[in-house]
Order: sequence, then C-alpha cells, then structure tokens
Amino acid sequence: MAPVMNSTSEVEKYLKSLKGKSVDASIDSLISLFKRRQIAGSEPCAMATAHILLQVVAKTKFRDVDHMLETVRQVGCKLVAAQPKELVVANIVRRVLGLIRDEASEQRNEGTDDDASPEEPFPPAADAPEPSEAPSTKYDGSTDYLHSGPRHVRLGALMSVGSFPASKTLLSLLEASPPGHPSLSPLAKDSGTSTPRLGHQNARISAIRAEIIDGIEEIKDEISQVDDQIASSADVQIRPLDYVLVYQPSHTVQKFLLRAATKRRFTVVIAVDPRLASSPREVPGEVPFASFRKKLQAAGVASMNIMNIGQAAHMPRISKVVLSARCVLANGGVVTDAGAGHVARAAKEKGCPVIVLSGVYELSPESSMEEDELVEWGGAMGHAGFSDGLFVKGAQLQGAVTELIQPELVDSYITNLGIHSRNHLTTIVADHYKAEDVDFQLWGDAER
Amino acid sequence: MVTEGSGPAQGTVPSGTTKPIQQEERKDAPPARAPPKNDQPTGPGNTTPATAPAPTTKPAPNKPVARDNQGPSGEKKLSNAELKAKAKAEKQARRAQQKAAQQAPPASAGAPHAPQGHAGNEAKGGKHKQKSDASQPAASANSKAQSTKQPIVMAPTAKNTDHMADVPECFSHLSMAKRISITQADKDVHPAVLALGQKMGAFALTNSTDRLEATLLAFKQVIDSYTTPQGSTLSRHFTSHVLNPQVEYLSACRPMCFSMGNAVRWLKMQVSKIDIDLPEADAKKYLTEAIDNFLRERIHVADVVIVELAADLISPQGDLVVTFMHDPLVERALLHARLEQQKNFRVMIIDDPLEPTGRALVPRLSEKGIRVSYVPHLAALGTLLQEASLVFFGAESMFSNGAMYACAGTCDVALFANDLGVPVIGLCSTINFTERVAIDSQTYNEIDPDHHTADSFRLLFDTTPDKYITAVVTELGKTAPASVPVIMRKLEEL
Repeated sequence: MAPVMNSTSEVEKYLKSLKGKSVDASIDSLISLFKRRQIAGSEPCAMATAHILLQVVAKTKFRDVDHMLETVRQVGCKLVAAQPKELVVANIVRRVLGLIRDEASEQRNEGTDDDASPEEPFPPAADAPEPSEAPSTKYDGSTDYLHSGPRHVRLGALMSVGSFPASKTLLSLLEASPPGHPSLSPLAKDSGTSTPRLGHQNARISAIRAEIIDGIEEIKDEISQVDDQIASSADVQIRPLDYVLVYQPSHTVQKFLLRAATKRRFTVVIAVDPRLASSPREVPGEVPFASFRKKLQAAGVASMNIMNIGQAAHMPRISKVVLSARCVLANGGVVTDAGAGHVARAAKEKGCPVIVLSGVYELSPESSMEEDELVEWGGAMGHAGFSDGLFVKGAQLQGAVTELIQPELVDSYITNLGIHSRNHLTTIVADHYKAEDVDFQLWGDAER
Repeated sequence: MVTEGSGPAQGTVPSGTTKPIQQEERKDAPPARAPPKNDQPTGPGNTTPATAPAPTTKPAPNKPVARDNQGPSGEKKLSNAELKAKAKAEKQARRAQQKAAQQAPPASAGAPHAPQGHAGNEAKGGKHKQKSDASQPAASANSKAQSTKQPIVMAPTAKNTDHMADVPECFSHLSMAKRISITQADKDVHPAVLALGQKMGAFALTNSTDRLEATLLAFKQVIDSYTTPQGSTLSRHFTSHVLNPQVEYLSACRPMCFSMGNAVRWLKMQVSKIDIDLPEADAKKYLTEAIDNFLRERIHVADVVIVELAADLISPQGDLVVTFMHDPLVERALLHARLEQQKNFRVMIIDDPLEPTGRALVPRLSEKGIRVSYVPHLAALGTLLQEASLVFFGAESMFSNGAMYACAGTCDVALFANDLGVPVIGLCSTINFTERVAIDSQTYNEIDPDHHTADSFRLLFDTTPDKYITAVVTELGKTAPASVPVIMRKLEEL
C-alpha cells in the first residue's frame, strides 16, 4: 500500500506542477514520472493519463477531428511506451479516443440531420448535444446500453459511469450499419471530406473540444468514484461469520470491507506482504494496516495480520478471498500486486471463492498477452545490497512487482457496474472501447 | 517470544507428560516471578525474553551460523564453556536447595521417589521456588556463574504470564515455543539439556535433524552422569525419574519435532530392554553405544544415501532445480550433483523475506560454479517455474497419509509446480516420519514466536497433500508419498 500512497501524492504534486507549463513539457514530465515508477498503481496512472489528455485536448490547436485523434493517439503512445505494464494508461487513451470518435459522429449527425438522415429515428432535438448541458447527461449510456427508448428517456439515468460510445440505440446501430461499427469508423476517417461547410469547421472543433473535455472530466469522476461504487455490493458478497482473506488490501478492498462491516460480523485476515513489514519488532509503532484495522475494530469486525508468505497454511480457515486488481484482461486474467497469485492459487486448492475488485477503467481489451509481458520485475534493492558482494555476484535476483492471476482462479469480478462473471467481461469491454482502438497499443508499438 | 509463560505444548509431545509441568509452572509462576530478581544488573550481551527487541535480533544472525557449521559438534564445543558455568550454578543451587529441603517439612523429602503425578509435581514446584530463591546468595559468590545465570533469572515479568493471549481463537489449539528461564526448569533437568532447551526455544537450532542429533547427544551426557540410586535399577528408574523430566523440559521450551518424539520413544524402549541384573556401568555403555549407532544409522548414513539419491534425479545437463528456503539435505544434494557428479545445472532459490535462510545458500552454491537465481518472495511463481525441471523440498516430517510437513510456503510452491507439471521431490529421512495423519496445515502446526505479537501472526509450517508430491526420497529409496505408511511398517519390523 505504501507505494500506492506515495504515488497518489506524487500525482497531486504532478497535477499542481502543471499550472503554467506548456503541454509538451507536462507530457514529458509525466513520461519521466512513469518511467521512474514514481507514479505507479492503476488509479494514479489512470488519473494522470486522463489529466494529461485533457490538457492536450484543451490546449492544442486542432485543424479537424482527425488531427485531434492523431494527436491524442501519439501522446497516448508515448505514455504507454513509458509504462507498458500498466495497462490502464492504454485504457484511458482508448476511452478518450472513443470519446472523440463519438463526438465527431454526433457532430456530423447533427450536420446531416438537415437531410433527414434515415439512421436517426428520433427527433433531432433530443439527440443534438447542447454545450450548455451538464456533462453527465451526455455520457449516460453505459448502464443502459440495451435501452431502446428515445434518448430523452435515458437522460434521466444519470449513473454516468463511462463514456459508452453509442450515441444511438443498439437498434439504430443494427438498422443502419454493416458489422464492425462502421457507422462510427468512416466518420473518423473521412470526417474532413464529409463536412462540406468549411467555414463551420472552427466552431465545430471548439464544440467538440468542449464536449470531449466534459467527457474526460467524467472519466476522472468515474475513476475517483470507483471505490464507493464497488463497495456498494459488499454486503451481498460478505456473509456473517465469514473469514475473509485479503492480500495487502488496497483502498478499494479496505472500503469494500468497511462497508460490509457496517452490516455484517465477520473476520478479516490480512495477509501482509512480508517485504513491506519485514520485522514488526524493529518499528514497533508501525503496524501494517493499523488504521484500517482500527476502523474495522470500531465497526466490530475482528481482524488479524498474517505474516506468512505462503497462504496455503491458512486456507482451511478462510471462506472467501478478496483481491484488488491492477488490471483485468478481457479473458478474465488479473494483473495484481506481486504475491496475490499464490493466494488465489491456494484458495482454489481449498475451493474457496476468489473475488476480484476492479474499476471498469481497469478492464483492458487485451487478452492474448503473454505472461511475461505483464509481469513487471524490479525492486531488487530491498533484497540485496552491494555490501553483500558474494550474493550480488552469485545470484540473479528475480523479484516481481506485479503478477498475473490466471482466469480460472478467479470466481467473480466486482466492478463499479456490479458483479460479473468471467464470460461477461468481454461484453463490458465491447461496451467501453471502440473496435478501432482495441489494437491501440499494437500499432503504437509498431510505430516506434 | 515476548509473551512468555506457560501454555499448552501438546502436538508434538510424545508422552502425555507435559501438562503437569505446565501446571506446576502456572501455579508457582506468580511467586517465582517476584520482582527481586529483576533488580539484578544484566550481564553484557545477554538477551532475555523480557526485553522485546532483543530476541528478534539475536536468533537471526545465529541461525545461519549454526546451520553453516558442522552442526551439533561445533555447537557442542561452543556450549561447553557455558555448560560448565551452568553446571556450577546448578550444583550450588542444588546444595542450597538440599539445605532448604532439610528445613522443609518431611513431605517434600519423599518427592524424588513419588511417581510422576500431580502431587509430586506440586511438591517439586514448591521446592523449585525455594531453590531459585536460595540460589541467589550462593551464586553471587561466584561472579562467573552469576553472569551466565542472571539474564535468565530476570526473564519472567508480569505481562508475560498470558503466553498465548494474543493468539487468535481459531489458532489457540496450536502450540508455540517459549523461553523458559533456567530457574523455572525442573531441578532434574541436566545442564546439557538445559542449554539445549534454551537453544531450541530461541530457534538457534531449527532443523529437525539437527534438533534430533543435539537431543540425543545431550541424552548421552545425561546417561553418562547418571547414577542409579540405592535399591533401584537403571531400567526401572532411569526413564521415569531422569529421562522424563528432560523430555518435559525440552518440549516445554519448544514443542518437540516428530523425529525427537520417535527418538525418545526408541530410547525408552532401549532402556526398558536392559536386563535388570546388568551392572550399571555396562548398561550405560550399552545405552551410549546404542545412541551412537542410532545417530550413525538413522541420521549420518541416512543423509548420505538421501543426498546421493536426490542428486541422481538431476539430469546431467541443463536442469533448473528449484528449492524453497534452505535445507541442509537439499544443499548437500545440489553440491553433490555438482562436485561429485559434475552435473551442469541451474538452481533457483525461493525464499521467505521474513526468514531469508536461502540467502546464505547463494554464495555457497555459486562459488561451486552453479548458476543461481534468487527469488526473494513467492511472487509470480506461475511465471518463474515455467522453466523449472525439478523442485526439491526438505521436509520436516512426513505424515502417514503421505502429506509433507515442511516450512510454511512449501505448499504454495508445490501447487504451482504441480500446475506446471514440474516434479516435486521431498527429502526426508525416515526418522522424521510420523504415524499421525494431518489433513490440512492446521491439524499440527506451530506458531512462530518471533513474529507473534498482538498485531501479527505466523505459522511455522504447512502441510502439502500427497497428491502434489511426486516422490519422497528417503534412505530406503525413492517412494511415492502414499507408501509412507508401508515404510513405517517396515521400520517397525527392522
């Protein structure tokens, strides 16, 4: 938890430092922060990425939508290259790209609405975005994407959790377009040619810009609200008298359990990463997760710290394992802090359910990545000093910072949208990312 | 370790005789822990259980040293000087206590002959208290004795009485090593055993085979210094009056490991087999020789055979052998394969950051030309073990259902190895086998006193089910874990 705390404050520091800096300079400084892993962990990384993209969109002069897409994409590539293991960076870039594509298509629809476009079954007044509207009304789609009613009905559902792209209903998509979201992709490619009235170009760009800024703000809101929304499904999952094992509980897990503690009586078993709490005696004042445990105790929930590295010994006692994800792959694999993998494995051995908590923004469309690409190695300093020459000379040290939990070890996924099974993840991915952007990282890498 | 006092030490104790001694301690604990002893100045370099940070720091540097060396023989030399001092103190204490006993009511005079019962123990407890009080002036005459004795005398404090108080209720059935001050020990405990118990309590001796060897060597000294009282005979008197107090003390210091239980049972059997008419000197000679043979056959030769069998499993070229923490047998097997068999392989040492015992292994292997990679934590095992060709574990014990009892974390590694189809080999000499059955890691286990506070908890061992173990290498050959009971049956016949 400590590194996460550090990097959140690092993010704040970074955000403060942005004032008065040029966009390029702030991109560069973020890249170096990423490279040095001074901003690490999914939430800080996602926040920083969203913020820098907001700056890019707000401060750069764009010729047209294509230019905007290209600029954002290039910045995104740089960021991803700086921190390739942190898939949320790419996720956020993808969502911003999707946002731009959406806005472009809406704008174009607005333009072509005069010609009574057949693909728009609703009155244009309801569909046309108004810049003065509250942002939440425009990105409301994700929770009710199957809703087939007219748009103004959906405006009521303000559970704005994502930038779900479909500006239209599924029905209209099916009616109007051949497979593969072509109603959206051609827009991005030939939006320049399709807007004949060049005089309106600038006004149009600034309208789109405002929309996109609102959209990014909304992504940031989403990121910051994830913990609370995940916690709302806590009391369904945690039952009375459960023994819940958590490994290095993150904020998300802590909130989840504290919420459950308001309704249930259970026991929390905290598996402490021994690297972070190597000797409790040496720093007597510093008990790992002391404040968390105090809060639990105040809620009447017992807790204990387990200092074992292997959790198999404790599994017979445990009835549930709750882990937080750094990133969830579309196939259900979970990238977590190093050490959670054997917890999940040991839980599977005893048939104990494993619940993974993750924000939707941590859900990555990637699925076929090699394990080696996802595991980040490092942090050797804590284990070997150069004072121990024989050791340093004799051994190759292999310490992981993150690791991949295989999909079959995880039983359910809780996101801010609710509880999902593994098979449902692909649907959520499809809702949140455009098909064109799924390969973002691939062609990002190919270019450099 | 900080929390000290009396507590249940069942589990690995073979004879059910531990309870009485604990009760005795509990009873006389408050008076015995009277403050006057605390006023004494502490000798230099003495760690006492009462001072919180010292115990953690002390065992850590000690452990590798103890393991690196030839083992018990080196330690024995080390401890001899101490022993003499302790023996002196002990003698004085005994003398003082005899004086006290003379003044005491005649009831206590009968105590030595009383059977191992509750009443006898109570009487002992009373005497023992007098002894510890009386020993103070006597000891002060001899400054050397005093310096060795003091730290332990001042050990108990009031807050330590609730030895197991911080243990979560769901683990309260497990036992934990604790430091018993020498003055708290039974008067019949031999000085050699006394020192050994302190070592075990402080985890200066951790490996089960080392503990077994040291125990038997100490028992040899006990036998040497034993004289049969008038009107009794060794085979009738020794076990109940001399051996049992030693065993009780040892298991109170730290629950005995299964091999020690086996050895004690064996020793008792040897004693009972001695003919009543055999002269004492011959009987003692017989016993010490039997112990020597036992050590040679069951430990030294067994280890050589296991090392060779295990080394044979490594293929001549290109293997990646994985091991978890440090085990002397595994180390010897790796070195044997490298030096004697000239095999070319790599080793991956997975370690526990809390007890990095595997660290010391790195230079020892790499200087012999073995390429070593060191994994400081159980992270990304699924990725790391993909290249592995063999996993060696040193087992603390084998249960008769084929489950392997080994240091905590073993099971996790075995699970991943099994997923990836890597053979998992347990190295265990048959003396460590037990006829008990453990279905999970919490049936038999031990709480780690070093990392036991109100805030944290740690188990020392875990149990790997037999289905995750490919083979067990014993001195009788390589077998499937399921045939552990068969081997034990065979051993009984031998």
